Amino acid sequence: MIRSITGMIIVLALAAAVFSVIPYNGVTEELHGAGSYYAENGVADTGSINLVTSVVVAYRGLDTLGEVVVLFSASTAVVLILSLVPMGGKPTAPSQIVQTTARILPGAITLFGIYIVTHGHLSPGGGFPGGAVVASAFLLVLLGSRSLPGAAGMLTAVESLAGLAFGLLGFWGVYVMGQFLNSRVLPGGSPGQLISAGIIPLVSLAIGAKVASELSGVFASYRSKGETVEPD
Amino acid sequence: MNPTEIFYWSLAATAAGLVLTGVWGVLTRKNILRIALAFTLADTGVNLLLVWSGFIPGRSAPIMDPTVTSVVDPLPQALVLTSIVIGVAVAALFVVVGVLAARKSGSADVRRMKELRW
Repeated sequence: MIRSITGMIIVLALAAAVFSVIPYNGVTEELHGAGSYYAENGVADTGSINLVTSVVVAYRGLDTLGEVVVLFSASTAVVLILSLVPMGGKPTAPSQIVQTTARILPGAITLFGIYIVTHGHLSPGGGFPGGAVVASAFLLVLLGSRSLPGAAGMLTAVESLAGLAFGLLGFWGVYVMGQFLNSRVLPGGSPGQLISAGIIPLVSLAIGAKVASELSGVFASYRSKGETVEPD
Repeated sequence: MNPTEIFYWSLAATAAGLVLTGVWGVLTRKNILRIALAFTLADTGVNLLLVWSGFIPGRSAPIMDPTVTSVVDPLPQALVLTSIVIGVAVAALFVVVGVLAARKSGSADVRRMKELRW
């Protein structure tokens, strides 16, 4: 009781604090600072018509490398904890619906994920959402199968190679242009084409492979090695 | 207020409401999985608030097609893309540690987790 009342009071105080700092001077109508620079020069600088991707991969590529490191340490921690302390318990066998879905859909989902990854510089998407979609196809396979799929052992290799590729692409920019992750080390092409925007599609591919293999590794670690589900 | 302004401020109100609901849940719930759920709720609210901060009514998404004349701010969207991925990673770690703690204390109730007291 005291706990709920204290919680309510703290939340109300926070709400008052939030509403006191919101500037009620109407709707924003113009871009300012970095946003307006990106809107004016983003396409000319990077060759990518999707400005969000050009910010994530080119302008703020170093932040994205840091983000990949955070994702890597979190997924490593999850896999480590689960491998030291197995969750135990007997998984239930997948139902007929899940099994049939897991046979039909993963190919289409993976293809869609690859499409999102490769079109990151043209339309909403890129390495992170596309990689998550590919990992969801892996999760479906995992849910529909009675044992760990054989490809699970390759996840670490894909993850390491993708991380290495990201770093090397970044240092290629340092070597040629003196700037980390400069997208202009490859010709920019004409903006709006699939093959354009310098190294941005390649970096997207590396991020996509890394995110997909990391999330898949987390999913795979929920099922212990060699454990099979008894048929009904 | 015209409809545009109502839409604009209701986005901010939704985001603030999500954050406050999440904080309330973290402070008052007892089941550790519900606390994790409330935490992700607050996370979602923060993301929505960030995207809202770069939103300009009547402008289109920051994809520079030849037909597009004016766009919203791409920077908050790029930051939120980062934030969503970090949020997923933190939530996965939270749930795993929570399940471990629940197994150790024999209950998902945070009041029974003696290691949390000081």
